[in-house]
Amino acid sequence: MIEAPPVQGRRTSPLIVLVHTVTFRQARSFVPAAIGLAAAVGFNGGTPAVVALAVGATLVSLATAVLSWWRFSYADGPTAVVVTRGVLARSVRTVPNDRIRGVEVEAPVLHQIFGLVRVRIDAAAGAVPGKEEELVVDGVPRAEGDRLRAGLLTRRPVTVPDAAAPPVEQDDVEEEFARFDNRWLLYAPLVGSYLVLPLAAVGALFRLADELPRSLTPQLPGPDAFNLKGLAIFLGVTALVLAVGAVVGAAVVNWGFRLVRRRGSLVAVRGLITRRQTELEIDRIRGVTLAEGLGMRLVQAARVSALVTGLGDAARRGQLLPLGPREEALTLAHRLVEEPGPLLRHPVAARRRRLMRAVGSGVLVTVAGGIATATLGWWWLLAVGVVLTLLAVPLGLGRYASLGHAVGRTSFSVRSGWLAREQAVLQRRAVVGWTVRQSFLQRRAGLATVVACVGAGSGGYAALDMAADEVAGFAVAASGTWAATLTTR
Amino acid sequence: MDPMTRTLSPVRKPAWSLSRSAIWLWITQGIIGSLVVGLAVVAFSLLVPGDEGPLPLLRWAAPVLAVLYVVVAVGVRPFVRYRVHRWEITGDSVYTLTGWLTRTWTLVPVARIQTVDVTRGVLQQLFGLASIAVLTASSQGTVRVPHLEVDVAERVAEDLARRAEQVRDEAT
Repeated sequence: MIEAPPVQGRRTSPLIVLVHTVTFRQARSFVPAAIGLAAAVGFNGGTPAVVALAVGATLVSLATAVLSWWRFSYADGPTAVVVTRGVLARSVRTVPNDRIRGVEVEAPVLHQIFGLVRVRIDAAAGAVPGKEEELVVDGVPRAEGDRLRAGLLTRRPVTVPDAAAPPVEQDDVEEEFARFDNRWLLYAPLVGSYLVLPLAAVGALFRLADELPRSLTPQLPGPDAFNLKGLAIFLGVTALVLAVGAVVGAAVVNWGFRLVRRRGSLVAVRGLITRRQTELEIDRIRGVTLAEGLGMRLVQAARVSALVTGLGDAARRGQLLPLGPREEALTLAHRLVEEPGPLLRHPVAARRRRLMRAVGSGVLVTVAGGIATATLGWWWLLAVGVVLTLLAVPLGLGRYASLGHAVGRTSFSVRSGWLAREQAVLQRRAVVGWTVRQSFLQRRAGLATVVACVGAGSGGYAALDMAADEVAGFAVAASGTWAATLTTR
Repeated sequence: MDPMTRTLSPVRKPAWSLSRSAIWLWITQGIIGSLVVGLAVVAFSLLVPGDEGPLPLLRWAAPVLAVLYVVVAVGVRPFVRYRVHRWEITGDSVYTLTGWLTRTWTLVPVARIQTVDVTRGVLQQLFGLASIAVLTASSQGTVRVPHLEVDVAERVAEDLARRAEQVRDEAT
């Protein structure tokens, strides 16, 4: 269907060879083989051998980098983008322009030195999920990167303008939607995903310490030297390291975050070391999610992501506000999707069900503990069971308190989750189908779970344990008259 | 519909039943499953020597459980499934009810259909049956109608694909 574009294939900048040589981008795959070879040959030549090995590795890296640069070309024709690559096996990928969902321009540190950027072109994923839905053009000059981005995004066939949509035709007028305030970095220690960063670093450090020769490891006092005071200090230092690490990690990722509207797209820029620019088409946004973890709720912080149809890696690319005060997040969310009104609580039966599910495992352990106490005298299992059961009560109540749904004029919303609470606010047009699920116990309790199927984000957003007789009304109000099939012939 | 079932069921039943051959297919599947379970039980009682601990109890319990499984899988489940499974194609949507203990109703408007697949498994071919899968842009929004007569399935798939082409707005 797509005629072969007569456009001449373009090459990336030769400077990228240097970057790839230094980072061993292509040669990385040879490392395990090289280590095996070195081990087989025997490695006891001293300094000259090390130098020879380093030079050899660099030469291999240079050669592979040159080869892959030489065999790589891209062409952005009037109808499609064609990327040709592969050293031995050639691969030609053609992506029609109307399937391009977004273009991301990023500049890692080394690229910045040479004035280069990496362009990621996101193609529509459709119903089949896959990692291969993206084209990467690595190493073009910044101006060429900007040309590609602007060209690819404007050449797409224009979709029928929505009468309700705000006028977006003024050229090159930027409107700021959000700007990161560095004070918000202080929220980072309360966010799970940022706390993981320093943990990973500490883990790597321990592995490194394990590899060090005995003579180099510092002589730490044995475990018997620890007392209560030592433990307290240790815990305090750990907490401090984690908190500082989380703040630093958040700063590296989110530094200078800014979200602006430029014509029909939202452009997000962020990053301290690698500057990353992501472009999302406003017309393809079907909704937003507001994530508030347990820690974030303590300080009234939240994160906002956009649900964009056909966008791969949506968790990272769809971010509209990586971290910020709840008020700010709500304002931003409702600027893109109309506020559907306050959330309605779910029936009391739903609370009973959440509680039952939460305490279930604790009760099992308690019963087992009771038997064990009677027969074997293991009282501790009983104690563990009782503690688990008691702890599960606030968990169940919290999970119930998170549940809610609301329907507005053009949008609707569902919320669930306790440790990671997520509220999805979706446009009516986002719904591509409804799934209603009812287990045996839900049937007895007069409840049902309704999932709005959406061609964006995780694919479906559920209202858990809604009153069974409200289901059909909710579906019709939240999508369209076609959903009336649920009640009437 | 009496008021009792109205309050229990969240949404209405789709109108049409599957092909009656589906019962035979499910019975066949139940028999195959029962054979596997039976072989496992025989292997267990032959290979595991047990006169102490909880093993004698297990030697009794395993055959009893196996018989129970056979009764449910062959004598009960196919008929319950046939009663539960329903489907319907209305003017603007595809609507199904599937499940056994947990029931799932799925509704997809024709305007949002992306592709329609018809598949025939090995057992299905024996009974002259085919399944339809209606795919949308959402990975969770797939409607499957199992075990229809082949000619019905093909006609329905063709009709749905044609109508989807005509009314498709933005299919995402």
